[in-house]
Amino acid sequence: MKEFLKVGISGVRGVVGETFTPQLAASFARAFGVFVGRGSVVVGRDTRPSGDMIERAVTAGLQSVGCQPLLAGVVPTPTVGILVRDLAARGGIAITASHNPAPWNALKFMGRDGLFLDRTRAEELFDIYHQGRYDLVPEEGLPLVETIPDPTAAHFRRVNDYVDAAAIRQRGFRVAVDACNGVGAVHTRRFLEALGCTVTLCHDAPTGIFEREAEPLPEHLGALAALVTAHGCDVGFAQDPDGDRLAVIDELGRPIGEDLTVALAVQDVLDRHARGPVAIHLSTSRAVQDVAERRGATVTRTRIGEINVVQAMLALGAPVGGEGNGGVIVPAVHPGRDSYIAMALVLELLAKEGKTVSQMRDTIPSYALLKEKIRARPEQIPEALRLLRRRYEKGKINLLDGVFVEFADAWVHARPSNTEPVIRVSAEAPTREAAAHLLQETRAVIAPALGFKPA
Amino acid sequence: MNGLRLSSFGLRGFVGESLTPEIVIDFATAFGTFADGGRVLVGRDTRLSSPMIQASVTAGFQAAGCEVLDLGVCPTPILQFTVPQRRAAGAIVVTAGHMRAGANALMLISANGGFVDPVSGEAVLDIYHSRDFRRADWQHLGAVTELTDFAEPYFSALEAHLDVAAIRRANLTVAIDVANGAGCRFLEPFAQRLGFRLVAVNAEESGYMARDPEPRPRNARQVASIMPLVNAQAGFVASSDLGRVSLVAEDGETASEEYTFPLVADHVLARTPGTVVSNCCTTRIVDDVARAHGCRIVKAAVGQAYVMAALTDEQGAIGGEGNGSVAVPRFSRAFDGLLTIGLVLEDLAQRGGTLSGRLRELPRYHIAKRQVYGDPRDCYRALESLERDTDWAAEATLDHTDGLRADWEDGWVHVRASRTEPMLRIISESRLRPQAEARAADLARRLEREL
Repeated sequence: MKEFLKVGISGVRGVVGETFTPQLAASFARAFGVFVGRGSVVVGRDTRPSGDMIERAVTAGLQSVGCQPLLAGVVPTPTVGILVRDLAARGGIAITASHNPAPWNALKFMGRDGLFLDRTRAEELFDIYHQGRYDLVPEEGLPLVETIPDPTAAHFRRVNDYVDAAAIRQRGFRVAVDACNGVGAVHTRRFLEALGCTVTLCHDAPTGIFEREAEPLPEHLGALAALVTAHGCDVGFAQDPDGDRLAVIDELGRPIGEDLTVALAVQDVLDRHARGPVAIHLSTSRAVQDVAERRGATVTRTRIGEINVVQAMLALGAPVGGEGNGGVIVPAVHPGRDSYIAMALVLELLAKEGKTVSQMRDTIPSYALLKEKIRARPEQIPEALRLLRRRYEKGKINLLDGVFVEFADAWVHARPSNTEPVIRVSAEAPTREAAAHLLQETRAVIAPALGFKPA
Repeated sequence: MNGLRLSSFGLRGFVGESLTPEIVIDFATAFGTFADGGRVLVGRDTRLSSPMIQASVTAGFQAAGCEVLDLGVCPTPILQFTVPQRRAAGAIVVTAGHMRAGANALMLISANGGFVDPVSGEAVLDIYHSRDFRRADWQHLGAVTELTDFAEPYFSALEAHLDVAAIRRANLTVAIDVANGAGCRFLEPFAQRLGFRLVAVNAEESGYMARDPEPRPRNARQVASIMPLVNAQAGFVASSDLGRVSLVAEDGETASEEYTFPLVADHVLARTPGTVVSNCCTTRIVDDVARAHGCRIVKAAVGQAYVMAALTDEQGAIGGEGNGSVAVPRFSRAFDGLLTIGLVLEDLAQRGGTLSGRLRELPRYHIAKRQVYGDPRDCYRALESLERDTDWAAEATLDHTDGLRADWEDGWVHVRASRTEPMLRIISESRLRPQAEARAADLARRLEREL
C-alpha cells in the first residue's frame, strides 16, 4: 500500500522515497520561512539515513525566502527548541519522525519560543503552504548557512544546573543505555560521563538503521536488560531515536514501564525542586497522579499531543509533567519532552534516596494499563463515543479528547486515532483483571454503533 | 525577462524569481533518473546563490539514489575532466558562466565529461516534465562524499600535455583575472605546476562580481593596467567558470576574444594537424589558420554543446568559438580556460617573441557586433521575414545552419536569436572596419523595422 503523507499538528511526515521527498521538504521549509519571517531558523535532525538529504532541502528552502539556516546537525529534538531560544532564532525545524519506523521521516516545526506549533499556528503554516505565494529573495539577499558549534552544550548545561550534579557524580553510577541507533548514540555517553557515570551502550551506531523497535516499550528492551545484568548496572535507560522519550530498566534488568519514568521524575521535582500543579495527558498512568497527589499537588489531564500538555503546564505554572509514553517535561529546562532531563532526575532521585530502582518502583502504586484498538469507520466513531458517554454520564467524565471516565482507582479512555481508522481504548486499574474487565465493558457499550452485537 | 529557461543542456534562471530550490531538486532528480541512480559529480562556482542551488541539486540526486561526489567550488573544465576519471555517470555544474549577478544555472555533463548530447538532454527534460522520477527508498538514498583531492590528477594530466620545461625556461610573468570565480583557488597550483610567476587579479572568492564576467577587451582593463607595472609577458581574462579566455598582450593591447581560438589553433595544428570545428559566427581568421595548416574546417551551430558534438563526430583536433572558448579533445571534452592559457604560454615559450607580435602574425579582420532587443516570438518572426526578403544579400552565399549567415568575398554577417536573452545577435566581419560596421548597422536597421 502506498503510504500517505500526514500533515498535522505534529508536523509533516511520510515515507522517504514515496510521499516524503526533498521537494516537499523544501516547499514546507519555504512556507515555514514565510511564516516566521526573515531571520534565523535552527535546523536539527536525528540519525535517519534520509536526514542529510532532507536537511539540504530544508536549508535551500529556508534560504530562498531569506531565512538563515543555523545547522545543529544530529541533535536531540529538545536541543533544537533550546537553541531556538538561546540563539534568539525565529523558529526551529526538527527533521525526525521520532518513534516512527526508519523509512519514515518528518519535519516538526517550532516557534520562536522553542515550542512546537499549536493547532492554530500549524494551520496558519499549512495555509501559507497551500496558498503558495512567497516573496523570494534575490541573490544578493541570500543569507549564508551557519553551523552551530557544540550544539548540545547549552542543553546539557541547563540540565546539569537544574539537578544536584555533584551528588550524582559522587555516587558514580553504572549506567546502561540503549540509544536506538539515534541521537543518543552521538550524545548520551558524553552527557552521562559528565555526571560521573560509567556508561555502556547498545544500539550505539548512529546509523538511523534501528536495531530495535523505535518505541521504548518493555517488550523491545531485551538487549538493554541483558546489558544491565551483564555489567551489573544500577540502571538502564532506553531512548527513542530523537531523544525525547525515556524508558527505565531496574538493576535486575526489568523494565519498570515508561509511564513510571514520569512518576519518578514527578517525585524528584516535587520533593527537591519546586512545588506546584502537575499536568499529564489523559492516557497517562494513574501512578503519576498518585505520586503527585500524595505530595499535595493537583493533577490536570490534557488532550493527547505534546503541545497540549506543554501549553497546560505553562498556563498552570506546573514545574513538571509529561506523557505516559516516557516523555518527561520540566519547563525550567525546556518546555518539551526531554530524555536528558529525565535521566538526570532519575539519577538524582537514586542518589538522594540512596535506593535502587526496584526499591523506588515499589514505593509507587502499581496499576495494570491495557490498550487496544477497535476497528471503526470514521462515520461510526461519533455514535460509538456518544454511547459510551451516555453509559457513564453520572460518573466523572472528561470530554477533552474522546471520552475519559475516571473511577476511584481506575480509568478508561476511548478516542478516535489521528492516524488509523480505529478507536483507541486504554484502561487502567489496580489489577490486570479489573483493567481487562473495563476494556470488555467498553467494547460492549460501543458495539451497537459499530454494527455488531455485544459479546 | 527573468524567466526560467529549460533546455537539453540544462536549466537557467534568476534566483529570487524563477530558480527555486524545488525546481532545481526536480531537475536534478530527473537527471539522476536518467543516470539510473549511478555515481554523479556536483560542483559549483562562487556565486552567492550557488551553495543553495548545489544543496538542492545534491538532495535531488540523493533522492534518485545517486552516489554524489561533491567537489564544492570547482571550475567547470576541471569538473568535466574529473567525470570520466571517477567513472561517474554524469555531473551537474552549478554555474551561470558569463551571465550577470542574480542568474544561476545547472549544466548537465555526460559520462565522458562532455556536455550531454541533445537527444539525452531531451530525455532528461521528458523525465522532468512527466515527473516520472526514480525514487530510492530510505536504505538506498545516495551517499554524499566531499572530494578534496580532485585537482591533482587534473594538473598532472595538464603537466603531461604541455611542454612545461619550455614554459619554465621562458621565465614568464603572467597576469590572470578570474572574475572572483571558481578559478580563484586553482590559480596558485596552476602557476606552480607550469612554472610561471603569477599575478592574480580578481581572485578572491567573495561571491561578488568584480567585473562583467565575459572575457572581452572592455573587461580587461584591470589586467591591462597592471601588466606594465609587473613586466608581465602575457595577460588573460577568464570567465568566472574558467571556460573562456581573452588575451592581453605585453604592451597592454587587449585583444578581442575572437583571437584566442585562432591563436591556439595555429599552435596546436602545427604539431597535431586535424579537423577544426568552429561555429557559423566565428571569425574567418580560424578558416585562414586551418587552411594554412592544410586542415579541414567544420562549422556547427552556435553553442559549446553543438561544437563539442561536432568535434566528437568529426574526431577533430581542436574546437572553439569566437567567445574565447577552446577545446582539445585529446586532453578533455571541456572548453578549458586553464588549458587555453597553458597552450598560449607554451606557444610563447617555444617560439620566443612577444604576444603582441604573435597576434600581429594572424590575419586581421574587423568585427562589429550589434544586438536588437525584442520578445522571442517577434525575434523569430523578424528573422523569418529577413530570410524571405534577401535583396540585402544579393551577391552573398546564404547558410541556415543556425540563424542566417551571408558570406561575401570580403566578409560575412550572421544573425540569430539568442538562446539566453530576448534579443537577436548580429555579428559582421570584414577586412575593412567601415564595411563590417555598415553591414551590421544595415541588418540591425532592417530587424528593428520588423520588430
